[in-house]
Amino acid sequence: MSRKPGSTSASAGAPAISTEDMCPVCKTMRYLNKDMEFLINPECYHSMCVNCVNRLFNDGPNQCPYAGCHRTLRRKGFRSAFFGDLAVEREVDIRRRVAAVFNQVEDDFETLDDYNNYLQMVEDLTFDLVNGSDARRRQAEATLQQWEAEHRAEIERNRRAGRDADDAARRRIAAEREAARQRRVDALREAEQEKLDRARSREAELDSLASAGPDSASRVQLKRRGGQVAAQRALDAAVGAAEAASGGASGGGGAGGASGVGGASDVGRLSIRGLKEKKKPAASEGPYDPFGGLEFTPSRYRVLPGVHTHPGIEKYKSDPAHVTGGYDFDDYTARAMFEAFAGLAVFVEDEKEVGVGLSASEVTAISAGIAAVGDKMDLD
Amino acid sequence: MEFNIDDLPVLFPYPRIYPEQYAYMVDLKRTLDAGGNAVLEMPSGTGKTVTLLSLIVAYQQHYPSHRKLVYCSRTMSEIEKALVELKALMKFRAERLGREEDFRALGLTSRKNLCLHPSVRREKSGNIVDARCRSLTAGFVKEKKEKGEDVEVCVYHDNLDLLEPHNLIPNGVWTLDGLLRYGEQHKQCPYFTARRMMQYCNVIIYSYHYLLDPKIAERVSKDLPKDCIVVFDEAHNIDNVCIESLSTDITEDSLRRASRGAQFLDNKINEMRESDQKKLQDEYEKLVQGLRGAEDSQPEDAFMANPILPADLLKEAVPGNIRRAEHFVAFLRRFIEYLKTRMKVRQVISETPPSFLAHLKEYTFIEKKPLRFCAERLTSLVRTLELTNIEDFQPLQEVATFATLVATYEKGFLLILEPYESDTAEVPNPVLHFTCLDAAIAIKPVFERFDSVIITSGTLSPLEMYPKMLDFPTVVQESYNMTLARRSFLPLIVTRGSDQSPISTGFQVRNEPGVVRNYGNLLTEFAKITPDGLVVFFPSYLYMESIISMWQGMGILDEVWKYKLILVETPDAQETSLALETYRTACCNGRGAVLLCVARGKVSEGIDFDHQYGRAVLCIGVPFQYTESRILKARLEFLRETYRIRENDFLSFDAMRHAAQCLGRVLRGKDDYGLMVLADRRFQKKRAQLPKWIAQAILDADVNLSTDMAVSSARRFLRTMAQPFRAKDQEGISTWSIEDLRKHQEKMDEERIRELQAEQERAENGEANAGAAAGGWDGKESDYEMDEDAEAELMALDN
Ligand code: SF4
Ligand SMILES: [Zn+2]
Ligand SMILES: [Zn+2]
Repeated sequence: MSRKPGSTSASAGAPAISTEDMCPVCKTMRYLNKDMEFLINPECYHSMCVNCVNRLFNDGPNQCPYAGCHRTLRRKGFRSAFFGDLAVEREVDIRRRVAAVFNQVEDDFETLDDYNNYLQMVEDLTFDLVNGSDARRRQAEATLQQWEAEHRAEIERNRRAGRDADDAARRRIAAEREAARQRRVDALREAEQEKLDRARSREAELDSLASAGPDSASRVQLKRRGGQVAAQRALDAAVGAAEAASGGASGGGGAGGASGVGGASDVGRLSIRGLKEKKKPAASEGPYDPFGGLEFTPSRYRVLPGVHTHPGIEKYKSDPAHVTGGYDFDDYTARAMFEAFAGLAVFVEDEKEVGVGLSASEVTAISAGIAAVGDKMDLD
Repeated sequence: MEFNIDDLPVLFPYPRIYPEQYAYMVDLKRTLDAGGNAVLEMPSGTGKTVTLLSLIVAYQQHYPSHRKLVYCSRTMSEIEKALVELKALMKFRAERLGREEDFRALGLTSRKNLCLHPSVRREKSGNIVDARCRSLTAGFVKEKKEKGEDVEVCVYHDNLDLLEPHNLIPNGVWTLDGLLRYGEQHKQCPYFTARRMMQYCNVIIYSYHYLLDPKIAERVSKDLPKDCIVVFDEAHNIDNVCIESLSTDITEDSLRRASRGAQFLDNKINEMRESDQKKLQDEYEKLVQGLRGAEDSQPEDAFMANPILPADLLKEAVPGNIRRAEHFVAFLRRFIEYLKTRMKVRQVISETPPSFLAHLKEYTFIEKKPLRFCAERLTSLVRTLELTNIEDFQPLQEVATFATLVATYEKGFLLILEPYESDTAEVPNPVLHFTCLDAAIAIKPVFERFDSVIITSGTLSPLEMYPKMLDFPTVVQESYNMTLARRSFLPLIVTRGSDQSPISTGFQVRNEPGVVRNYGNLLTEFAKITPDGLVVFFPSYLYMESIISMWQGMGILDEVWKYKLILVETPDAQETSLALETYRTACCNGRGAVLLCVARGKVSEGIDFDHQYGRAVLCIGVPFQYTESRILKARLEFLRETYRIRENDFLSFDAMRHAAQCLGRVLRGKDDYGLMVLADRRFQKKRAQLPKWIAQAILDADVNLSTDMAVSSARRFLRTMAQPFRAKDQEGISTWSIEDLRKHQEKMDEERIRELQAEQERAENGEANAGAAAGGWDGKESDYEMDEDAEAELMALDN
């Protein structure tokens, strides 16, 4: 196996002009035609631009326009080259042919050495085909054909096996890619979900603060204080006991809001002066009521939480700028309703007679002002 | 001072020891005893190197196994520093023990730093020095010389052959300087002395790359025994070193030069076929046997560096279709042409190695197996052709390395083709990144080969990240605190400007004039109050440039100029070192200076700003990586899928380790002091990710400051620091004398005894309890006493 391969200069069998920027046939420069495309014909691997190919070969077979090249080319044979180096393009074309015939795999051989020798034999043969002298090329060609004839069944089998393996590999790669994509999507979704959860829990906290029954507020506070829960509970119990005691002494009146009234009546009945008023435990007062017990629940209509909607405010419900501030949309509807119904039981004439001191024009000005404020609210 | 840890006598070359140094030694010993790996985080400026060395040397000398120490550091100056420390330590030991120990330690760095040859050493680039040296020392050159041909050789190298091969240099610790001097005196090459003596050393100190870069490791560190103790110092960036050592970038230009290289090889082969057919035939014969056979002849002067191949592959014969030189060159050429074609695509492509290989095979009929042998085959060919101008083949070599890697690793790598430099670029400049995503691949052989690997640095938090990323088990993971007699550094987190509006370098706000002005004010204020040197870190060059030009427009720089000189780091090393020089001068002569630099630049990693060189460090913005990079994205995805590390966790970890590095720059010892200012709203939440020793020093009051508040507490701090502080004040607290140490040891022993007793008691009680439980609830008292677990407690309460 030590025969000396022919000249290895790659350019022996094919021209190695890389025609990147100028068509050697019509001399058009890429400078003039930006999308110029080159084609080659595997007959001789001479490249020329698409225009030339169409011009020369559209009317049937013709001779290659390269000087000294007398091959007859057909339009059908032209294609664009994969490689920039046309010598390599040609080499690969030959390899394709060789590989289709010599397609044994390692498993077909007894030992690795045999396989390696086989590989080298194939490589030598390919070299002869690519750039051997004419005699060598012919000989190699003959060997190739002979081998093909002799091993037809084997070749067919290996080809099928190879194709199956390729298919399997391709499928595997595709599956992996798909799986990776899927995982990426999942991860994204997870992150999104987490963000959403966080937002939601914050919202829930805000809501629970806003729907402030007095005890719920204190519950939230308790939660904040964490460890002190037990102590607070004990204190509560003590307060409750004290309250019960004072309630019993006053002989009537419930706990909570009524206890203040009860205290007042106490003072009225016993007329001993100079007695220090008994300090009540601070907590028994209940939450401070800034409106002094005024009832805001409307009597003529009801506001159902979450039912009243208005297209103008819908978009703010999800806007963090509004929601984070603790802005309550139910309050907004309640207020809008209140404003809408506020004037219903009032008769302007009657008011005038009582003499509130507002002229009709003033009244309208005020109501216009109110309306304006309402509008602005909407806009915010 | 001299003390024992368990049964191991340790000689420590200073009269005092820091408590954390002692703790570090104890943990280190535990690791070595167990024969496992450790991750140790030790505050900067607490004498990590000397601690490590004294314990390991003690360990080596005391136990009969005499385990070798391989100490890896990052830069040449760090290597030299460690060698000097070691030398001092050995001197101290000799004095104490009254005899010289049989001990040899050497440092190894590149030829560029160790060459003595009068003309070669004057070359500027390391590659050229390497190449020229090879051309003087290669095996065939010597053969020719022996045959009487007139070839140039290096006397320094040839003199080595006259010496005993295992005794090229006497015992002792050889600093790089000392090695050079010895080489000069005895006319022997320091580089090869170090290389050849490595097997006979007790301690080797060299750069990471000799272990981590598979292209070099195979050559240099092949003969190290398994029980070596391997230490990676300053290892907070070790994952990046690993990744870089396996990644390559291929450009159109490098392909063009590779083509030229292949062409040149082809010509050479033809020439040789005419003149010296036999050599080619010899090579061919050898390759039939297998790669390793071809190689054994010249292990040391190997021409090119190759990536690691699995060992079984090396024994295998080279595939038949690349055995012949001309076949192989044609093979290379086909591969290069294929790559060229791929580079013409004008859209971004990312591809896994298997899919790349499939496509390659379809278009070029190149199989995976010969591809794997590419790098080794090329080395062998270059050697056969007796080529010496290796730098011409650098690009070809890169392509071959790439071929080998892409065919060897299916997982953990990705090919990314980027046709344009940026999204807005019009002119294509394609780059094919072959990027390693898995830091564990490069370091895996190290963990496999050596029993104990210690990873240590000043900033490794969070500790569990490293074992996860590098995929190794640990015996000890520890972060040490800094014991201080006074608060000698003050970390502050500034989240708002003086106008109370938040400051951040977050993407949306970083260029808002308000934010920029607030940062400017912060700088001005600190320039006013800080004595001497002030170092400022920005997240990136780009941002630094834009913010500096905005400051110029706002007149902020003029204001700062009144108090301090302003110097700027640039990507150019020369300019930067000039700036540093000036900075140092200004700090020393009282003018004071501000150094503006980048958190991922050279300054943030290697330069220390001790004492007056850095009284304050200002970290402007969280130094996040540029997340739009495709390579980073791919790596993040890989980390998520393989190691379950979430993107944000990694990014934030990475940013914080760089921030911590920056902060650590100013505090280089216990007598040093400095301010550490983290200026970004986002630092508030990331505080926990700082190294323990910094995080613990942040007071709760200092985490959410506005500029003026920060300035006033900084002022207060500086005033305290200006008070006289005597070394005596530290005694017993932040430094221990031998008595203090004894006391501590006694206490620890007592504690341990008590613990053991308690354990025993517990065990006994457990039994008693079980007995008691059977007989009703009589064992109540003992229940209270032991408060073993929550359950027992609850039961006791219920009673
Ligand atoms: S053998 Fe040593 S001294 Fe000689 S050229 Fe090489 S590195 Fe320089
Ligand atoms: Zn044309
Ligand atoms: Zn032609």
